[in-house]
Amino acid sequence: MQSAERAVVVLIEFEVIERARSGDESAFNQVLQAYRKRILGTIARLIGKPEDVEDVGQEVFLRLYYSLDQLRTPEVFEPWLYRLTVNAAYDYLRRQRRRHESRMSDLSEQQVMMADASAGGKQSTEDARRTRVREQVQSLLDKVSTEDRLLLMLKEVEGLSLKELEKIYKVNENALKVRLFRARQRVLKAYESES
Amino acid sequence: MDRMEDKLDSLWAEYRQACPDPEPSANFTPQVWQRIEARRRATSSLRHWAEACVVAALSLTLLIATFLIPRYQRQPVYQLTYADVLAEADSPDYTVIITGGDTRGDTR
Repeated sequence: MQSAERAVVVLIEFEVIERARSGDESAFNQVLQAYRKRILGTIARLIGKPEDVEDVGQEVFLRLYYSLDQLRTPEVFEPWLYRLTVNAAYDYLRRQRRRHESRMSDLSEQQVMMADASAGGKQSTEDARRTRVREQVQSLLDKVSTEDRLLLMLKEVEGLSLKELEKIYKVNENALKVRLFRARQRVLKAYESES
Repeated sequence: MDRMEDKLDSLWAEYRQACPDPEPSANFTPQVWQRIEARRRATSSLRHWAEACVVAALSLTLLIATFLIPRYQRQPVYQLTYADVLAEADSPDYTVIITGGDTRGDTR
């Protein structure tokens, strides 16, 4: 297994989270500064569209601001924030999927190929390799449901443990293992058909 | 199958490297606050609007209670007494109507 093992580092004192929860805007600003890079990174990998990462990230912090008073204890802040991130990414991907379907139905296959070719011709070798990997993964993930996509990304790419996923998805470990197994099987099938 | 799984695992790792955590732009935090403010303004104007509706509804209720209800209450529901109604029923007009509808009573 080569998935990244994410070191669990709490980026901010619980006391600051507690103050932010009780409406202290400067404390919320500290939370924002501490977590924005990590959250943007997660969103970037979840959605695979660099141009929309900040927009989704801002949506996450907006939702955080207006729901922070519902947080029971600061100890569960990180899974809570991840849950908001996953939900915002899920909403974005669902919107994109609908938009993409309608846009693709408007373009001919040749037009789509020409657009892809012209977009690919302007990059350096390293960028091109990264873009190729991103596109390969995105095309693979487009073949599975949004739910499978997010779960696999969190487990395989973000390197979250089952315990962390349990807190995010609020399901027990066995149910999660079943979901993960099925998602893996589906993506593996898509990968086999692609290779 | 295992080979495919290994290849897929490598692909996830490559993807992780191909998508490092991006640096937030200088506008990121100010824009978050702008969105928070915009939502707050929208919520506050909605609250004002709702409050205005409640005030208007209460004023209308008071208006009805103060002016319209007493006006209707001044007009009694029954304009005639029971005796008046009986007397009216016994009037010649009433008899004409009955005899006009059924003449058997008159021949007796």
